[in-house]
Amino acid sequence: MEKQEATQRALARYKQERDWFAFLLEAAEMMDTPEGKLQVKLLNILLDSKQKVVDCVENDKPFLAAYYCTAPELVNAMGLPWFMIMETPFLAASAPYIMDDLQGTEELGLGTDLCTAIRLPMYYIETGQMPVPSAVIGLLSPCDGTTMLQQVLQHNDAWKNVPLFSPDPPYTSDERAIKYFANELRQMVQFIEQHTGHTLDIDRLREVCEESNRTYALWQEYNELRRAVPCPHGWEIGGAQAFAVSQCFIAGDPRCTDWFRQLLECGELKVKAGRGANDYVAEKIRLLWFDIMPYGWIFEFMPWLEQEWGAILVMDMFGNFPYTPIDTTSAETMFHDLAKRNLMDVPMIRQARGTAEYFSSDIARLVKDYKIDAVIWPGHMGHKDGAATAGIMRDTCRGLGVPFLHIGLDLFDKRYTTVDEVKNKVAAFFTGMGLG
Amino acid sequence: MFVGGCDVGSTTGKAVIIHEASIVAHCITPSTTNPEKTARFAMAEALRMAGLNSIDDLRYIVGTGYGRLKVPFAHENVSEITCHARGAYWLNPAVRTVVDIGGQDCKVMALDKNGKVLEFVMNDRCAAGTGRFFEAMALVLGCGLEGISSPANQGANAATISSQCSVFAESEVVTLINEGVELPNIIAGINSAVANRLFSMIRRVGLTKELALTGGCSKNEGLARALEKKLDVKVTLLPQDPQIAGAVGAALIGFDKVNHH
Amino acid sequence: METTITSTAFAEFAATAEAIMNPAIEEWRNNGGKVVGYFCSHVPTEVLTAAGLLPFRMRGTGSTGTELSDAFYSSINCSFPRHTFNQALKGEYDFLDGLLCISSCDHIRRVYDNWKQNLNTPFVKIMSLPKKVGDPQVEWYREEINLLRGELEQHFGVQITDERLRAAIKLHNETRRLQRQLYDLRKGKHPAITGAETLAVMVAGSAMPAERYNALLRSLLDDLSRSNGTREYRARLMIVGSELDDPEYVEIIEEQGGLVVTDSICYGTRTMWVDVDEQAADPVEALARYYIQERPSCPRMNGDQPRRAQFLRNLIDTFQVDGVIGERMLFCDFWCTEHYMNRLDFKEVGIPFIQLDREYILSGKGQLRTRIQAFLETMGK
Repeated sequence: MEKQEATQRALARYKQERDWFAFLLEAAEMMDTPEGKLQVKLLNILLDSKQKVVDCVENDKPFLAAYYCTAPELVNAMGLPWFMIMETPFLAASAPYIMDDLQGTEELGLGTDLCTAIRLPMYYIETGQMPVPSAVIGLLSPCDGTTMLQQVLQHNDAWKNVPLFSPDPPYTSDERAIKYFANELRQMVQFIEQHTGHTLDIDRLREVCEESNRTYALWQEYNELRRAVPCPHGWEIGGAQAFAVSQCFIAGDPRCTDWFRQLLECGELKVKAGRGANDYVAEKIRLLWFDIMPYGWIFEFMPWLEQEWGAILVMDMFGNFPYTPIDTTSAETMFHDLAKRNLMDVPMIRQARGTAEYFSSDIARLVKDYKIDAVIWPGHMGHKDGAATAGIMRDTCRGLGVPFLHIGLDLFDKRYTTVDEVKNKVAAFFTGMGLG
Repeated sequence: MFVGGCDVGSTTGKAVIIHEASIVAHCITPSTTNPEKTARFAMAEALRMAGLNSIDDLRYIVGTGYGRLKVPFAHENVSEITCHARGAYWLNPAVRTVVDIGGQDCKVMALDKNGKVLEFVMNDRCAAGTGRFFEAMALVLGCGLEGISSPANQGANAATISSQCSVFAESEVVTLINEGVELPNIIAGINSAVANRLFSMIRRVGLTKELALTGGCSKNEGLARALEKKLDVKVTLLPQDPQIAGAVGAALIGFDKVNHH
Repeated sequence: METTITSTAFAEFAATAEAIMNPAIEEWRNNGGKVVGYFCSHVPTEVLTAAGLLPFRMRGTGSTGTELSDAFYSSINCSFPRHTFNQALKGEYDFLDGLLCISSCDHIRRVYDNWKQNLNTPFVKIMSLPKKVGDPQVEWYREEINLLRGELEQHFGVQITDERLRAAIKLHNETRRLQRQLYDLRKGKHPAITGAETLAVMVAGSAMPAERYNALLRSLLDDLSRSNGTREYRARLMIVGSELDDPEYVEIIEEQGGLVVTDSICYGTRTMWVDVDEQAADPVEALARYYIQERPSCPRMNGDQPRRAQFLRNLIDTFQVDGVIGERMLFCDFWCTEHYMNRLDFKEVGIPFIQLDREYILSGKGQLRTRIQAFLETMGK
C-alpha cells in the first residue's frame, strides 16, 4: 500500500504535466493553419511519450531516464520508453503549478544561484514527485549543475538503489575524445542491457540511425528556408519544436521524418508566397536568440517582440547546428558518429561542454547565414560558463558589426528578472542601436 | 539585583533593565551613526526610567545587535540570534519559531521546547524583507511607515510586486502608481512581497507553532496579516513591544550569568 | 596576521600567503628558473616539478576589484576567477612562463579562454579532467598526463624522464608527509597551531620551491613540537569547502572562540592526506590513479560523494570535531549542492553544521562574526 502511494505521488506531477500538454493540444487543434497542425502533431508525440511512461510505471514495465544528448538513437533502438528528469523546465515551464514548485525549491535550502532547471528536478526528486525508472542514464554535461543533479539522485534514499550510468564527457573534441566517448556509449548499452533485459540489435540501430539521418537532412533543408527574407517562421515554429521532435523521446522514428517533411512543406509554401513569420507585422529585426526559449514566460514575451518591434526570431541555439550524418556501415562507425554527435553537435552541449570556440564560431556562422540584425545572449542565471564567455561573444559580435545584448534573466522563473524588466532592456537596446 | 540588556541596531537602540526577573524599564531610541553613542543614550534613558542613578547600579550588562562590539559598558556580547530567541521565548514560552525583521536584516530562528535555538537562517546581504525596504517604499508612496502598516490601508487585491531586489521593486511600485493602481492595493502588495520573502526563509528552517515576530517591522500589522495568510498560521502576539525582544533576551542571559555565580 | 608563533619559517609562510610574488620565487627566477601557474588541486604538479619548473597555484590575493575582468566575466560568476583574472590583467602574473588550466568548474575553466585572448603568457594549456572516478577515467587521465608531459618537453626543451617523475613524486610526497605532521599537532586537546596559521602554511606550500618549503616546514614542526598549545577555545571546528586561501577569514572564525582543528578544503587535507604510490611500475599511471581515485575528492568528481562523506566522518572522529562549517563561494554549484547533502547527512547524526556563503575577497566581517557567534551559541559552547 505504502509503495503504491509513493508511486502514485511520484506520478502525480508527471500526470499533471501530461494533462497540461493535453490542454495545449486542445488549444493547438483550434488553430487552422499548417503550423497549427504541426503543433498538434508535436503535442501528440509528447503526450504519447508521456503516456507510455505512465503506463510503464503503473504496469511495472521497464523504462529509463535519459537525455537528448545521451544518444537517444541508441536508447530508442533498444525499444525502451524514456523520459528526461529535466523535462519540466525544458518542456513545461509555462505550466500553472510551476510557481509553487519554484517556491518549493527555495524551501529545500539549495542556493538560489543554482540553475532553476536543476533545482526543479532536485525538488521533485527530494519530495518524491518524480517517477522512478528501472535505470538512469545520467548527464554530466555541459555544466556543473547537471553533474550535481546526478549526485543528488545517488544520495536520495528512494533513488540510491536505482542503477545509474553517466557517460563521461571529455573536455576536448578530437578523435581521441570521440573514441573515448564512443566507449562510454558502449558501456552505456551494456548497462542498459544488464538492467532492463532489452538488448541492442545492430540492424535495428542501423534502421534508427538511417531514419535519424533522413530527419536531419530534412531539417537542414528547412533551415535553408529560414535564410529567406522575410523569414517564413518565427518563435512559434522552428528551433524548439524541431529539437523536441528530433531529439526527445522518438529520435530515429519515422514520425520525426514525417513531421519534418510537413515542416518543410509549410516553410516552402510561405517562402514561395513571400510571407513572413507574422502576417500582421512586417519583419524589421532578424534576431538570433542564443539559448533555449524562455519557457517560464514565453507567451508574455515572444509575441510582444514580434508585435511591438517586428523582431522575428529567425534562429535560436536549438534551431541549427551542423549535424554530421551517422555512417551506418558498422557498429563501430555508428558508435563513433553517435559519440561525435552527442559531444559536438547537440545544442548547448556543443557550445558549453568544452572550450569557448563554438560560442564564437556558431554566432559568426549564424549571423552570416541568417542575415542576423541583432544577437541576444539571454544570460540565463544557470549558465555560469556562458556568463564567463560574455566578453568573447561581445567581441565576436563587434567583429561582425552586429549589435549584441546580454540581458541577465531566468528562462524559467519570471520573478528573477520580471518580464517588464526584460522588455525594457530589449526596448532600450533596439532603440539605442537604431533597430526596428 | 538589576541587570541590563542593550540591543544596538542600525535603526534603533533598545535597552532593557530587569530586576529579579521582571522588566522594570525598557526603551527604544533612534540610532546614531556611532553605535557607542547609541548604546549610551539608550541605556541612560532606561536607567532614568528605572529610577537608577548610574550604570554601576547594573550588576551585569549584555550587549547584542549589529553594534554589540561597541557597547562600552557591556560585560559580554551575545549574537542577536540567541537574544531574540531567548527574549521571545521568555515573553511567550509557547513560541517555537521567531521571525526577526530589523532595520537592515531579517532572520528566522527555530526553537526547541526549552527555547534553545535549533537552526537559524539570516538575510543580511540585501534590503529585501527589512526595515530599509519599507522605508524606501514609504517614501515612494508618501504615506509614512504607519501608512504601510495600518490595517485600514490594506487593499483586498494586493498588487503583484515580483522583483526580488528592493531597488527594482521601487521602480515597479512607481509604475503601479502611474498605472493608477489603488494605493491600498499597492500597500497590500508591498506587505505581500515581504511576506513571500520571509515565507521562504521560514520554510527553510521549518515552521512550528507558535510563530512570533520581533524587531521593528513586526509592528507592521499589514505584514503580519500577509504572513498569516501566506503561512495559514496565526502570528502569536508577545505581551511586550516585540521590538525589545533582543534586549530582553540579552538582559535575561545576563541575569542567568549572575545567578550561576 | 596575528600569531604567537615566533618561528622565522612561519613568518615566511605567513608573508608568502599574503601576496602573489615572494622572495623565494624571485630567487628562483633570478637563477634562471621558470614558473608555471595552475588552477585546481587536480593538476599533476609533479609533472611540472619533474620538468624543472616551479608550480604556482593561482590566487587573486591582494585584488581590490574586478573592473578589468568585468569585461569578460559576469556578476553571476564566482569571485575567485574574477579576482584572479583581474590581477592577471593588471600585470600581477606577468612573471609566469606558463599557465596550466584544467576543466575543473564552469567558472575557472573559462580563465583559459579569456586568458588566451587577452594575455601573452607563452604556454597556456587546459587539461581534460574526467568527471567520474572509474578505471576508464584513470586511463584517460594517464593519457592526458603523458600528453602534458610531451607538450612541456617540447615547449620548455626539457626531458621529463620516468626517473625525474619519480623523484618529483617523492619530493611532493615528502611535502604531504610534513603537512600531515602539522595536522597531527591539531588532534589533541591543545593544538599547537590555529586553523588560520595552518592555512598560511598550506597556501605557502603552493607558492615556493618544494625543497625550500620542506626545509622550512621541518623547522617549523621542530619549533612547534616544543609548544604548549594554543589559546583557549569554545569549540573545535572543521571547515569543509573550496578555494579558501585567506587566513584572515579563518582568524575571524577563531576570534569567536571556534578553533578550526581540521578541514577538507583545496588548501587542506585533500591535497596531502594520501600519498602518490611510489612503488607503482608506471609513475604516470600512479599519478592518474592518485588524482582520480585515491586522493580525497571534491564534488567536482561525480559518484564519489559517499567516499567524501566517509572522509569527513573520519576527520570528525580523528580531530574530535564539535561542529562543521560548510564554506562555499557564491555561485558555486558544486559546493552548494554538496553542502545540501552534507547538511542532511550531519543532521541525521546530530553534528552541528552551518553553511557560510562568501565572496573571494573578505568582506562582511560583521556578518561573518554574527553567524559564527550564533553557531557557537547554538552548539551550546
